[in-house]
Amino acid sequence: MTGPPSAESTKLRKSATIMHVDMDAFFVSVEMRENPSLVGKPVVVGGTGARGVVAAANYEARVFGIHSAMPSAVAKRACPHAVFVAGNHKLYSQVSQGLMDIFERVTPLVEPLSLDEAFLDVAGAERLLGPAPEIARQVRQTVWDEQRLHCSVGIAGSKLVAKLASQDAKPRIVERQVLRGLGVKVVPVGTETEYLWPLPVRAMWGVGPKTEERLTQFGIRTVGELAEVPLDVLIGAVGRASGVHLHAVANGRDDRPVEPNRPAKSISNEETFGTDLTDPVQLHTELVRLADSVAGRLRSSGFRGRTISIKVRYPSFKTLTRSVTLKRPTDSGNKILHVADQLFSELDVSQGVRLLGLGVSGLVSQSTDQLSFDDLAKEPNGAETIDVVVDEIRSKFGSGAIGPATLVRNDEGASRLDRKEKGRQQWGPIESVEGPCDDYPGGRM
Amino acid sequence: MKFRCERDVLVEALGISGRAVSRGGLPGLSGVRAELAGDQLSLTGSDLDLTITIDVTVAGERDGVAVVPARLASDIVRALEPGAVSISAEADELSISAGRSNFSIRLIAADDFPQIAGLPEESVSLSCNQLAEALRQVIPAASGDDSRPILTGVLLAAEADGLRLVATDSYRLSMRDVAGVSVLAEGQSVLIPSRALNELNRILGQADKVELRLGEREASFEVGSVKLVTRLIEGEFPNYRGLIPDTHPNVLTVSRDELLDALRRVKLLARETTPVRLEMSEEGLELVAVTQDVGTAREQVEGSYVGSPLTVAFNPQYLLEGIEVAKAEQITLSTIDELKPALVRIAGVEEFLYLLMPVRVS
Repeated sequence: MTGPPSAESTKLRKSATIMHVDMDAFFVSVEMRENPSLVGKPVVVGGTGARGVVAAANYEARVFGIHSAMPSAVAKRACPHAVFVAGNHKLYSQVSQGLMDIFERVTPLVEPLSLDEAFLDVAGAERLLGPAPEIARQVRQTVWDEQRLHCSVGIAGSKLVAKLASQDAKPRIVERQVLRGLGVKVVPVGTETEYLWPLPVRAMWGVGPKTEERLTQFGIRTVGELAEVPLDVLIGAVGRASGVHLHAVANGRDDRPVEPNRPAKSISNEETFGTDLTDPVQLHTELVRLADSVAGRLRSSGFRGRTISIKVRYPSFKTLTRSVTLKRPTDSGNKILHVADQLFSELDVSQGVRLLGLGVSGLVSQSTDQLSFDDLAKEPNGAETIDVVVDEIRSKFGSGAIGPATLVRNDEGASRLDRKEKGRQQWGPIESVEGPCDDYPGGRM
Repeated sequence: MKFRCERDVLVEALGISGRAVSRGGLPGLSGVRAELAGDQLSLTGSDLDLTITIDVTVAGERDGVAVVPARLASDIVRALEPGAVSISAEADELSISAGRSNFSIRLIAADDFPQIAGLPEESVSLSCNQLAEALRQVIPAASGDDSRPILTGVLLAAEADGLRLVATDSYRLSMRDVAGVSVLAEGQSVLIPSRALNELNRILGQADKVELRLGEREASFEVGSVKLVTRLIEGEFPNYRGLIPDTHPNVLTVSRDELLDALRRVKLLARETTPVRLEMSEEGLELVAVTQDVGTAREQVEGSYVGSPLTVAFNPQYLLEGIEVAKAEQITLSTIDELKPALVRIAGVEEFLYLLMPVRVS
């Protein structure tokens, strides 16, 4: 690692496809969501006892200089009319799970960092969902629609820069005023050093107060200055492990992959209908749409799955799920549809269906596929070949270029494909009058 | 029931019959049924699918029947001092005494014990050695996955010149012909659970001949004083003949031991689902395993190769199991392409084959 970077260590991405999603004032925002009377007031979550500290503060409270880890007593002095809330970790965990589920609908490559932040590798998802900034916009919209929470997204070619960028996208306080943030900040690949070098060294991951002090002794204040220090000098100053790391990242070299610490669990799609569906033909069409979409996402992310599950929500909000585990993993839209159809046929839907979902779990990487004698019996030009061709056409001509015939619609004489796409009904029914959040009546998740 | 016998005789008898006892199953099946008639003690273990009975000679005092808790009784007898053991069953208690040790344990109700269906009188005699060798070759290819019960069995089929054994888990298939053995009528076949055959294989060493009886739903194997009865699997075995390609354009001939050793080494770097790649060319064979973030292993194996250069990937365990049971100096690996089944055979021998599907590497 002391010589010039080897090809191995600079597997840099061609485009910015790592997203860092960070919730804005997470704990406090959840509290405000649960108790709307708090909105607009300075709110602090944290211990209220004599030795309590602030766990989180909303932007209204931050205006008064309150920040996390500050003693609650100090916070109280700074802002006597702030509302102090004890905090509810169980609730935060639940909400966090809901957030991670949203992220995992985008890509199975989600690496949660804490309850309220995660890295997403969207390189594979781009083909289906559009460019990364568009995916980020969709994620923010869904997080708002489903959880009524705000988040900020940083997009870059590396984890380090993505994480820094998300902080840049956040709301900020200027002269005691809360200014809206960018929401999404992109640092294009190739401009990392330009972005990093003016930053103070403590902005970097791995630079705590100790290291910062040590670097300051050497006259190193900015990332740019850090980047210029020869590696052996840096190792002498801060030790080997830290020195090697800082030298690499200060020069924009950070190739750590997004590593889901829970292996990719499932890929799923669901749809809430504007009006409850009762027509079996229409419901079948919806299944076709979901199967097509889920299979496409499986293939683009390089996974196959063994367990296929469907989810049905009735108008009464009663929700059922049914699943079956196949002998062998699949990523074929036809196969998934076939199984989903069978599962669906066992449910009574006479009362109507409000929401229909389809998911595939038990995912395995596509790259190692043990063939079986059953494969020999398949038609040489069977379903699998079709999927490959479909993917190719979609990547060239767009996702609406080809799809199952069931999804063809006639709009004023012209035929078009009514495929399921992210950002369309995914986030709730388009024609709903109550708005997209009527999924959770009488409160939210 | 009351008798005396040597500890070691009882340890072995309880051990063999106890292998058919299901663990954590029905309470009535967690016992071994002991029946004493004169000096003849029969111990029977069963889990309904598989029943094993062993007869031993003891010093009988009082005839009778008792169902004893298999694990506990076996553990106790095994732990006793060597020498004579006295056993007696009174009412619902079994007492075991040896030297200064005295145990009294609760019996299991005898009515709960399953009855074994009758089997035909006439039997066919097979060489234990021959059967054991054939079983060792095919059993590894049988499936352990109960979702496709048919594949958990080994097919025994009558072939023109003898008996054929076939097993497949749909990823590989092992087939062995035993010439000159006619167990079944022409065209007849039965499907025997591989678990039962595994147990059979453990006792085949105890005698020279095994007596086979075939019933409608059961088959029995008698080896010396041990009798094993197994349920047959009902259903149609897949058409395996259609799977075996007629011709293979590429044939690799290698030393079996060299390939085995090399494969075992390279397999260390084939973690989880990583396959082992076989790169075959006129130069011979190279085995390669690459696991991301772990490392790489390569090893060259001398061999002669006829055909066009080809790289095929396999699950190393499946390949290993095929080569292990192909006991010979030279073996051949015949291939068509990287997606078609490959064939492991003993060079110059027709009676055994192991067909293996590759792993697709994308």
